[in-house]
Amino acid sequence: MYIQVPEFLEPAWNLFQGAPLAIQLAMIFIVITTVITLLAYVSILRNRFRGYQRAKRLGKLLPLLDNLIVEEVLANQDPLAQTQPDAVQLNLESFYQLPLHKKWARQATTDRIIHFRRNVRGNPGRLLRTLYLQLELDKDNVKQMKSSKWERKVRALTEFIEMDIPIADVTILPLTNSHNRELRAAARHAYIKLSKNEPFKFFDVVTDPLLMWDQVELFRIITTTEDIAIPNFARWVTYSSNRSVVSFCLKLIVHYNQLPAVPAVKQLLDTKDHYLRAEAINCLGKLRVPDIEDKLVYMYSSQPLQCQIEILKAIGRIGGGQHIDFLKQEFLHSTNFDLRKSAAKSIVKNESIANKILQELLDTADPGRLLILKHCMNPLIKY
Amino acid sequence: MNGLLETAGKIYENTLFVYGLVLLFTYALLAILSMLAIRKYVKRNNTHQLELLSSSPLAPGITILAPAYNEGLTIVSNVRSLLTLNYPRYEIIIINDGSADDTMEQLIKEFKIVPVDFAYNVRIQTKPVRSIYKSTDPAYSSLVVIDKVNGKSKADAVNAGINIATFNYFVCTDVDCILHKDTLLELIRPVMQEERKRVIAVGATLRIANSSEFDEGVMTRMRAPKQLLPRFQEVEYIRSFVLGKMGWSYINCVPNVSGGLGLFDREVATRCGGYDHSSFGEDMELLTRMCRYAHDNNINYAVRYIPKTLCWTEAPASIKIFSRQRVRWSRGLAQLMAAHFSMFLNPRYGRMGLIVVPFNFFFELLAPLVEFSGIIVYIILAALHLINWPYALLLLLFVYTYAIMITTISILWDQLSFRYYKSWREVASLCLMPFLEFLLYHPLIVINSLRGYYNFLTGKRSTWGNMQRQGFGKKK
Repeated sequence: MYIQVPEFLEPAWNLFQGAPLAIQLAMIFIVITTVITLLAYVSILRNRFRGYQRAKRLGKLLPLLDNLIVEEVLANQDPLAQTQPDAVQLNLESFYQLPLHKKWARQATTDRIIHFRRNVRGNPGRLLRTLYLQLELDKDNVKQMKSSKWERKVRALTEFIEMDIPIADVTILPLTNSHNRELRAAARHAYIKLSKNEPFKFFDVVTDPLLMWDQVELFRIITTTEDIAIPNFARWVTYSSNRSVVSFCLKLIVHYNQLPAVPAVKQLLDTKDHYLRAEAINCLGKLRVPDIEDKLVYMYSSQPLQCQIEILKAIGRIGGGQHIDFLKQEFLHSTNFDLRKSAAKSIVKNESIANKILQELLDTADPGRLLILKHCMNPLIKY
Repeated sequence: MNGLLETAGKIYENTLFVYGLVLLFTYALLAILSMLAIRKYVKRNNTHQLELLSSSPLAPGITILAPAYNEGLTIVSNVRSLLTLNYPRYEIIIINDGSADDTMEQLIKEFKIVPVDFAYNVRIQTKPVRSIYKSTDPAYSSLVVIDKVNGKSKADAVNAGINIATFNYFVCTDVDCILHKDTLLELIRPVMQEERKRVIAVGATLRIANSSEFDEGVMTRMRAPKQLLPRFQEVEYIRSFVLGKMGWSYINCVPNVSGGLGLFDREVATRCGGYDHSSFGEDMELLTRMCRYAHDNNINYAVRYIPKTLCWTEAPASIKIFSRQRVRWSRGLAQLMAAHFSMFLNPRYGRMGLIVVPFNFFFELLAPLVEFSGIIVYIILAALHLINWPYALLLLLFVYTYAIMITTISILWDQLSFRYYKSWREVASLCLMPFLEFLLYHPLIVINSLRGYYNFLTGKRSTWGNMQRQGFGKKK
């Protein structure tokens, strides 16, 4: 095959033709690596130029936008005297001076509204929502929801959550079983926040673990959403076979101080999963359930270390005073440092009841144990 | 005789050819894997989630361990920097490792710390602790200072910190490192996002702080280093963290979590004995031991890396200090390989035994030796007029352009994901480095690696030495 090459490339071409295979490959790769390197430079330049343009555009838009939001929405509470925030017709004239026909400007406006909304509560927050709706920014989000890309759907769901825009259950429910973990989690968060119909329903059906990360977001949504009917979480503590759901419900029980859930939590003391058992003991301690102390002391000796530590802490938290001697025994005779320290902490926590015992221990304890007591009594030391 | 030499030459030539091909292929693979890992990171994470965690009562507690030895120049601003971190539940443990300067006095004066009766359990043996201090000022209630006898290694100091750490995770950093305010939020995220594995360590990208601007220990302006040697190191760090570690992280084969910044599972770290004070590469050694422990105890573990820069460290700006650092690192690598060679190609250790250790052995440990032997052979062949110069130069050009490509790609990934540096000039100055690295910087690495191996083989006494820092306290 004859290939016509430019005259200046002829020496290289001749070299290529006469070279062994390894050298030919090397020559081909020299060209490829050079091209990739050049493309990388072009991409870097392009990316920086775009970033520069974006920063410039936003640099102009954001101060104007912030002023308008503050003046027209946050500082303008007059219309609220006559009507509800959701029904107020805002003066949008000045907003229409902004380049809202452009997608980037609409997105920036949405982001800004969300930013302000995160920092305000009550009527100003509801007015910001009204602004979002009246500027029809939700339409972009509806489009995003239809995207085939999961990350766009996640963004859209997050935006709906932030703006408290209701979505039909039929739209969200299929997403709560998505194969994509992030989308699945976002859909569940949205369902709890936005569904008016059994927001905690997915707790019944979820089979995969609720990650610690998901729990943070769920906890925030559940504990900050207004008008949400908080159920008795004992239901899932008793019936859920999903360990992470049970664990999460224990945290919610503590947060809402749900004493009616105590019988269900007590049942967990017999579970074979010692991590879950430790969490249940922790929960009972934080709920300060007085009649559980006897049971905890009874089961103590057969428990693994983690549960034993939680039992000692729980007795300290409950502070019933009936088991100070037990704490003293553990402090004096346990061979494990963490158990000694937990027992000492609980004794110190119950100083008002255990005053005599504490003094006795301070007088008679060996140097190692005395140091632990002093550690626990020192207000400068937190843990 | 000639025939024998010819056969040996052929074997050497072919071995080197295969070695080179595998190395080039691995780097190409890492470039692709790192791209996938970074895309995944960027898609999955948004700053709002961090804000949520920063105020969540469910955030796991974290202990920060920062050993200090003769850091009087920078200690106050660095502790202040640690105190400004954005996290709801953390404690800072500064370990004064028997400093001979005024490090301890400065801490006492500035943070109003007093000795307390502190009970702690010696899980890992260290040099004696003289006293433990807490601040009387509630503003510094999260600060604990350990004053201990000098253990002649960072490992000994960190182990003392692990002994009194309260929380299940600890972040190990150098007290002279400047951390991003969201460091703890970012580092704990992979732990909380992991579905089925137990994340035993998380690392993040480190950068060179030399020309960046700081105010009272807080980064105010990130710049590419102006001096040549630190700038070479900046590019090397980008390649190593953004391309290398991220690529390995994608397939759960991270070989090392840098000593400058890493989050560790305290239980696993303690159970496997903590840092080894006799090691010169204690960070890599600990991670290898933790992985080994996890395999031995059937823990389904993961080690993760994140591409975001969370830590800035002062790089050596003189050849002398730089050489000392690299000699130590390479000696540490040799020590590590010798200590854990039983994992080499051992299927019992999974990817660690079949990928990480062999890669480190062939392409980290042996690379300087292979390069050095190549140069010797080159010189001999040249002297004997046995070199086909056009072909030889073409092969050299291929390696040169390939190296430039890989480094440029790592800069590209970095820029596409985070767009660090304010001006394009700074990025351009970094992009220039790959062209010079091959000729000026790489030979230094090879020479110092060989010196490190020599020291290891001969058992030459070696000390940690002083980094002679300039400090970040005031705006430069």
